[in-house]
Amino acid sequence: MPLTEDPAVDQAVARLADEFRARLRPQVIGTVVRNCRRDLSGVPATALPELVERLARERLLSVA
Amino acid sequence: MGYVDVSAVRHTLSDGRVLLDDVSFRVGEGARAALVGENGAGKTTLLRIISGDLAAESGAIARTGGLGVMRQFIGSVRDDTTVQQMLVDLAPPAVQEAWHAVEAAELAMMEDDDEPTQMAYANALAHWGDVGGYDVEVTWDTVTVAALGVPYDGCKYRELNTLSGGEQKRLALEALLRGPDEVLLLDEPDNYLDVPGKRWLEERLLDTRKTVLFVSHDRELLARVADRVVTVEGGTAWVHGGGFVSYHAARTARHERLAELRRRWDEEHQRLVDLVRTLQQQAANSPDMANRYHAMQTRLAKFEAAGPPPERPPEQKVAMRLRGGRTGVRAVIAEQLELTGLMKPFDLEVFYGDRVGVLGANGAGKSHFLRLLAGQSVTHTGDWRLGARVVPGFFAQTHAHPEWQDRTPVDLLWHGEPGRPGVDRGRAMAALRRYGLAEAGEQPFRTMSGGQQARFQILLLELSGSTLLLLDEPTDNLDVLSAEALEEALAAFDGTVLAVTHDRWFARSFDRFVVFGADGRVYESAEPVFDETRVQRAR
Repeated sequence: MPLTEDPAVDQAVARLADEFRARLRPQVIGTVVRNCRRDLSGVPATALPELVERLARERLLSVA
Repeated sequence: MGYVDVSAVRHTLSDGRVLLDDVSFRVGEGARAALVGENGAGKTTLLRIISGDLAAESGAIARTGGLGVMRQFIGSVRDDTTVQQMLVDLAPPAVQEAWHAVEAAELAMMEDDDEPTQMAYANALAHWGDVGGYDVEVTWDTVTVAALGVPYDGCKYRELNTLSGGEQKRLALEALLRGPDEVLLLDEPDNYLDVPGKRWLEERLLDTRKTVLFVSHDRELLARVADRVVTVEGGTAWVHGGGFVSYHAARTARHERLAELRRRWDEEHQRLVDLVRTLQQQAANSPDMANRYHAMQTRLAKFEAAGPPPERPPEQKVAMRLRGGRTGVRAVIAEQLELTGLMKPFDLEVFYGDRVGVLGANGAGKSHFLRLLAGQSVTHTGDWRLGARVVPGFFAQTHAHPEWQDRTPVDLLWHGEPGRPGVDRGRAMAALRRYGLAEAGEQPFRTMSGGQQARFQILLLELSGSTLLLLDEPTDNLDVLSAEALEEALAAFDGTVLAVTHDRWFARSFDRFVVFGADGRVYESAEPVFDETRVQRAR
């Protein structure tokens, strides 16, 4: 599945865009989430949405 | 499919005694082998060596296929182990390792949420997926539904001590039989199972394509399931390639053959010794004979170095002498008897000499009924009485004697109790020896094995001069040989016997059956009835 259609990515981008709207541009958030998804490629699908979001949040906090 | 190959295994106990020596046998692919032997012969030790819990002093174990082990204590777990932990423990080592890694990573995430911790958790989950952990969880779900009727998520945190012994066993058996391991070692898998549970186990073991090595004392299970019998006796093991039905004849024949080989060896040894002596005398007078004398000496030395064949294993001599005595024709009479809250009122007449099997559902009041007849206080309505000269003797399930736990058999015999005179030390030891208990005479009751405790209780019945034996699951902890000795003793007993039992083989030696039904009805049956379900009672 291409990363652009991945529900784990879409959900995380939507939630994190709300959370970081004041500090970061939406394009940055999208890139970070997609990178996280790539780094977590071996993780079972059921656990993906939560792990992608947590990792992305951690990375965004370090730059925001 | 897998196999187990045991070759020349030796094990010495910490006191220096050799428990097992030169144990060699093979359980081939798809075989269902029973491991039998007296209490304390080394069956559990041998299973521990095969499973790798214990290192053999010498010899080797070879096997293929994953190994699944059900240990004896399952069924009596009383600590706070959960269903999930037990299922993990029964899983293959790779799954166990991955599960523990996920647990550790989850804990770390609770403490710290930084990137390395998250990546470690992601790795642990990925590894869990790689070792088939998600498929294993699906199997666990099937297992808990089959054993407990509850999905895995609904019971994984439940503690095992809230399950009955039968449920614990069933859970472990389902997990092993449905699991990936191809070789199963089962130490007393039928303990704690009621008769429908045992029948279920028999069917499952007959159906499975796995290789199974199991220890059991249930003769019915042995006869139905085992296609070969490995016997641990006399410090070694031998294999009977047929089923349990032909086992006795094979064992007797083997013992006779061993005795015969030994006798021949002794004769040949004596002949060589005599020959050496004669040649020695002749050599003194004739130098020609000196060479023959030396040659014969060498031959004798070689013969002795090769050693004698193994001795015939000593028979466990359990001689039970239950005498009894003539009583009134009616030994037990019950009229409209009802143990409060347990059953509907019933009438019963038991005659002198009757052998009555008391069968039925768990929790239906069978043990309470025996306790009432033994003269203990049990709440009831209706009438009951014992006939003239009827002296009841009660064999309780072994845990029912808290007051004996710290006392030794010799002490208990010496002091006696109401209805049973004390005996002096000499007589006590003689009696204990007849029951194969001489070595256990000075150790506290609680440290004796289940089989020893059971034999000791039968000895007390013998000494009390009872004419009515009330036996509550007497064969439960007895090894096969002791159970047979008890059956012989009961056959020779001059009196009346009432026994609660789930032992189908033992029940065949009875001629009347009183069944305590799950619906509270008590009825007589000419044939044993074992499929009464458990009594459902609000708890």
